[in-house]
Amino acid sequence: MKNIFPPFRLIFVMFALVFYPSCGEEFLQVKPLGEINAQNFFREEKQGGWAINAIYNQMRSWDFVSFPYLGMTDIVSDDAVKGSFPADAERLNAFDDFIYDSRNPEDIRQTWRGYYQAIFRANVAIDGIPRIPKMNETLRKKWLGEAHFLRAHFYFNLVRWFGSVPLITKPLTQDEFYTQERASVEKLYEQIKSDLNVAASSLPLKSAMEPIDLGRVSKGTAAGLLAKVFLTQGDFTNAAKWAKEVIDSKEYSLYPDYARLFRKEGENGVESLFEIQATALEASYAGATAFNMVQGVRGSPNLGWGFNNPSDDLVRSYEPGDPRRDATVLYVGEVLPDGSGVIEDNPSMENERYNQKAWVESHPGLQDNGPGNIRILRYADILLIAAEALNEINNPTEALKYLNQVRQRARGTRTTVLPDLVFSDKLTLRERIWKERRIELAMEQQRWFDLVRTGQVEKVMKNLGKNFIKGKHDLFPIPQTEIDLSEGKMTQNPGY
Amino acid sequence: MMFYITNKFFIRSLFAVNILLLCSFSGFSQFRVKGKITDEKGESLIGVNVMVKNTSAGTLSGLDGSYSIEVTDKQSIIVFSYVGYGTKEIGVNGMAEINVVLNESAELLDEIVVIGYGSQRKSDLTGVVSSIKSEDLQKVASANITQALQGKIAGVQVVSGSGRPGEAPIVRIRGTGTLNGASPIYVVDGLILDNIDFLNATDIASMEVLKDASAAAIYGTRGANGVIIITTRQGSKNTKAQIRFNAWQGVQQPAKLLSLTNASEYGLLVNELSNKPVFQNPGSLGQGTDWQNEIYRNAAFSSYNLQVSGGSDQMTYSISGDAFLQDGIIKSSYFNRYSLRINNTYQIAPFIKIGHNISFVQSAANREPGGIVFNAYAADPTAPAVDADGNFGNTSTLSNVSNPAAQLKYNAYNRSSGQQMAGNAFVDVNPFKNLTLKSSIGFNSFSNKSKSFEPQFFVNDKQQNPESRLFVGNSQSSDWQWENTAVFQKDFKQHRLTLLTGYTVQSRQGEFMGGSRNRLIGDTEDFYYLNAGDAQTATNYQGASTPERYESYLFRSNYAFKDKYLLTVSFRRDGSSKFGSEKRGGNFPSLAFAWRAKEESFLKNLKGLSNLKLRASWGILGNDKIPTGAAIPTVTNNLSAVFGPDEALIFGASLVTLANPFLQWEQSRSLNGGFDIGFLDNRLTAEIDVYHRLTTKILVPVPIPDYVGSAGNPYVNAADVVNKGLDVTLNFQNKEGKLNYKLSVLGSFLDNNVISLGSTGNALRDVVINGDFATLTQPGYPIGSFFGYKVAGVYQNAEDVKKYPNNNPVKPGDLRFEDINNDGIINAKDRTWLGSPIPTFNYGFNLELSYSGFDFNADFNGVYGNKILNAKKMFRGFGIPNFETSFLNRWNKDNLSTTDPRITNGGYPNFVVSDHFLEDGSFFRLRTLGLGYTLADGLVKKLGIRSLRIYATANNLFTWTKYTGYTPEVGSENVLQVGIDRGIYPLSKTLVFGIQCNF
Repeated sequence: MKNIFPPFRLIFVMFALVFYPSCGEEFLQVKPLGEINAQNFFREEKQGGWAINAIYNQMRSWDFVSFPYLGMTDIVSDDAVKGSFPADAERLNAFDDFIYDSRNPEDIRQTWRGYYQAIFRANVAIDGIPRIPKMNETLRKKWLGEAHFLRAHFYFNLVRWFGSVPLITKPLTQDEFYTQERASVEKLYEQIKSDLNVAASSLPLKSAMEPIDLGRVSKGTAAGLLAKVFLTQGDFTNAAKWAKEVIDSKEYSLYPDYARLFRKEGENGVESLFEIQATALEASYAGATAFNMVQGVRGSPNLGWGFNNPSDDLVRSYEPGDPRRDATVLYVGEVLPDGSGVIEDNPSMENERYNQKAWVESHPGLQDNGPGNIRILRYADILLIAAEALNEINNPTEALKYLNQVRQRARGTRTTVLPDLVFSDKLTLRERIWKERRIELAMEQQRWFDLVRTGQVEKVMKNLGKNFIKGKHDLFPIPQTEIDLSEGKMTQNPGY
Repeated sequence: MMFYITNKFFIRSLFAVNILLLCSFSGFSQFRVKGKITDEKGESLIGVNVMVKNTSAGTLSGLDGSYSIEVTDKQSIIVFSYVGYGTKEIGVNGMAEINVVLNESAELLDEIVVIGYGSQRKSDLTGVVSSIKSEDLQKVASANITQALQGKIAGVQVVSGSGRPGEAPIVRIRGTGTLNGASPIYVVDGLILDNIDFLNATDIASMEVLKDASAAAIYGTRGANGVIIITTRQGSKNTKAQIRFNAWQGVQQPAKLLSLTNASEYGLLVNELSNKPVFQNPGSLGQGTDWQNEIYRNAAFSSYNLQVSGGSDQMTYSISGDAFLQDGIIKSSYFNRYSLRINNTYQIAPFIKIGHNISFVQSAANREPGGIVFNAYAADPTAPAVDADGNFGNTSTLSNVSNPAAQLKYNAYNRSSGQQMAGNAFVDVNPFKNLTLKSSIGFNSFSNKSKSFEPQFFVNDKQQNPESRLFVGNSQSSDWQWENTAVFQKDFKQHRLTLLTGYTVQSRQGEFMGGSRNRLIGDTEDFYYLNAGDAQTATNYQGASTPERYESYLFRSNYAFKDKYLLTVSFRRDGSSKFGSEKRGGNFPSLAFAWRAKEESFLKNLKGLSNLKLRASWGILGNDKIPTGAAIPTVTNNLSAVFGPDEALIFGASLVTLANPFLQWEQSRSLNGGFDIGFLDNRLTAEIDVYHRLTTKILVPVPIPDYVGSAGNPYVNAADVVNKGLDVTLNFQNKEGKLNYKLSVLGSFLDNNVISLGSTGNALRDVVINGDFATLTQPGYPIGSFFGYKVAGVYQNAEDVKKYPNNNPVKPGDLRFEDINNDGIINAKDRTWLGSPIPTFNYGFNLELSYSGFDFNADFNGVYGNKILNAKKMFRGFGIPNFETSFLNRWNKDNLSTTDPRITNGGYPNFVVSDHFLEDGSFFRLRTLGLGYTLADGLVKKLGIRSLRIYATANNLFTWTKYTGYTPEVGSENVLQVGIDRGIYPLSKTLVFGIQCNF
């Protein structure tokens, strides 16, 4: 027995030496599983489309559609109050009371964060799609047009909320993270208009779009937003020009029934230029937003959290008999628009009334599966922009024509309410148009921007006894975290 | 009695197995040797292993210490071994009677210490290695053995992350070297692991902590945060079966409950902050509900362990089974673990040994309902848990949290069950004298199943679930590791040399899948399968983690000259799949020197001084604890959008986070100097070490401005950090008559300092609380320091408000902050450094006494110099949560407090990050108090039991601290987020009774 061992030992050692292992480079080269990475992205045509869809996707996030958005549009304006129970999300009262600061409520930072994450996705697409090696050039142009439009839309809201903000137009690298400064308002508007011009010249008309693309932005959307941008800047000639371009394209018209415009049947209809698209799927809530839940009837029927309640001031400001009031406000005791129930009094709620425009028909899933499209830009808005701009450039006749179109649709077949308006003087007409905008677009997150744009905000807020400080509250504060991280390169807005 | 029978049965079956395995090796010629075995005092020793060397023949000594054994050869050698006594080998030389005296073993200096890829005599150590004994590990009744390290080893900080059953504590060795993944690695019988949750204390033979670079450098990239080496119990050769049975049972209760406002106090505060009477008559509300009483309980836990070990000259075996059963102090939570371990070795040829260490673990746990700790803290005390009609009280309207009692009914099913198989199989070959080749395949496969179920219920419009819902998830991971080492060992005259070289590869991979469905057809556990839900509502996911792979070459040489001068040189080259191909390799050298001065002639005869050894070491270590893919961003899928007349979800995907292609290795360079000294025959010993560890290019995900637009924080090489420290361990042990006592004192001083920041030069900020970053990491300060306002007082009146102008509107009663920069206005620029979350001093005292059969031990440990941010007090959330009673000291017209502000519900200035919420985190704790009694004769022996110890141990009985939260131990795996108390599962105090029985 013993004799076989010595050679075996020797063989073992030699074996061990010869096969002393090495796995080599491939062993350490691993790939992510079930994912692609930056190096393989923008290599195929379809990936360009994915990147575009991802920008639209971000617009359904919490930061875009719920407390942060409603707080900084409706609740801060004279249209709405916080809503829900007094103690519920009490911090949102800061918007009503003008006591928000650079830290509180955190919703301001969420808006900022959500918008810059959306801009990031737009920048990724704008940066990547031109690099796709082989693809349909018409499609490339269209997709780039969508990305430019969306980026402009994001910056347009940011500049109106915060004033000058960092202008980021490409994904940043490590050494650029902390070096950004706030770009001037002029520079931001230049970029917004340039992006919108790219969009307007590369996007198809709404009528030329494939049915499957319903809900994507079109040439008309870009033109319409340009009109609003020029109006905001006080460039009424160009505002009128772009609004007229939309009107004259004959691509859009007013939906006959104002109340039903906000129902499912009105989604992406003849009046629609731009809506955040949402749907309630049965299985996952991947197509939904929190917009409907946050504003839904609280209690019985139990449809949501009951925030963003139409204010007394809004309810008072309707002309007698204006049917738009009942189309905008849901009251206790009212039968729901689809007849599915009656709103019962909830004793824990104060000022109990709800935003009817955010109400949705019964749908698969629970409250948090909100399917309602969020109206961002519609034809009535364009008509009122046209009216306002034309009045400013001394074309009251045409201005009145568009204004009265809006009123006419609102009154429908009724004959005793909302009569056509006639011209007395420019100032009166201007105020009539502003008032019409408030009523027509009430609870559609437009009012705050209009108040600031037109300079009415101080007077309106003082009249309501609010602690509004001019030169401070016209803009929201830059989040303290941004100022801290940039070690002061980012500056704060005045007064904060 | 029951288990006496069981054990007898056990012995018999084991004996049978033994015979079966070993009979083929039996010889036939016979010669009988008998004799008696006693200790130094002449007392008989029972159960001593008596083996004929190099054979399987063996026996145990009887009740009177006598033995009788047959040998095949009159020249045989008989080996006598007994736990706790020195082993003796005696040649038969034809004698028919051999009486033996065994001496109690005095290990101390020549105990064998396990080091990476080998072991060494303690006297030969050059690096800093601390050992902890198996018995010490068993003193703390916990599922996780790292708990037992607390206060036991200088330089090791153990923070119980939470009191949740089965949860691992956070371990830091010699401070926080990195900003990311600062935990040490664990090496269990050679297998490199990130956690040792599956091990139970009784299976562990020894635990060694490698603290300095020289000791840990052999683990290269993985060693930067220290290495804990664990060796599990093995049988020993030529030993009769040893049976050990350990069992304990105990009870746990929350170490502390908080003082919260009762119903009438809460009502008063709510009225005061609402400026209107929400409650008409708060005084009439009485005590109301203390929600803590609704969720906490006294909970039982227990552990049972049976172990059989032994061996012949051809094999050794150790088989153990263990059950650990723990209910959590929060109702519904529990953790049970059952494990089986088989550690065997087989000498298959004179020069080849094979073996395996295999453990199989099954665990089952239920997690408490999500957020229940905070909910019980915040819930409205005016609401009843259950009202007179049997309905759950409404805590949603006012405090806006779920009713914790209802959560325990509806959200309590959060099960998980795990199966883990971990171990290795190895072959040791000695082809030639002096050379050992070893190849070992290690594996660790883990699978976990989780299920949670929520029935349909309605408590109120906020706390409800309209459709029953089931979530299931399965995950699997498997690691394997292949290690090949060659060791050459040679003594020549005054030189001793050990050379080690090796090659190792390791791979890790994991997958997960799961899904959910609503509207289950039944609400009981037998329906908790997805198929019982409505397929219309199905969701699913499945994916894999990016594989991690390592390939390493290692080398080490230990050289001793005249047993006085010791030198260790080591080198490891590591490749890690986590870095891009150019930055993939890293080289990690180390050097250590020790001088056993006591062996020099001029000290040799110095009385009193029994040991003196000086040590110095230097080494470079790496850290790669970053996620795979940190260098190249992955594309996020399912960022879908809705389009088209059918409102279809159209697939979208994009980059949403930035990655950093410039990532480099994080490195740490350590210097260590120290000495071991012993006096009075080593009854008094001291080990003292100083160290300096510089970690450069630390890898960390740093918060970047939101305007960058990245959804996550990219990793950057962000800063350089220095840890300087002093570790001191003093031991004194002595014997006076029957009284043995031992006192250990240990202390570690630590200074953690950021010395420079990375390429951007920007300070690192983290943890946004109420709109501010709570921590700031900047040069000259410890990592993750607290940053915020310093409170100067409270605005007493309108004049004060005018006198101390504030950038934001303030009212009388609000906190007044210090104008740090003296510019006359209080604004964001007045925030400043508030304190460090890292203790500057960790210490412990351990006292052990034994007298006759009694033993007693008391362990104390403590930390000093750190702060805790009591963040749970700052969260005012969506409603008006309950208050701690300290809020009753508020400023108001009747109480013009200068320290506590008026009552408000969030916002500036009363709830932003300031030292108002920062508390002293120092504590001193009676960690363990134990008393035991060992019976080793009389009745016990007649039952065939060699020794029986009964004991009682209490853990966490008292904690002296100024901190007002549940526990001053507030850890975090993320070093930028340490010391922030958000309301964790509280720590418990425990009392257990147990027995340890050896047969």
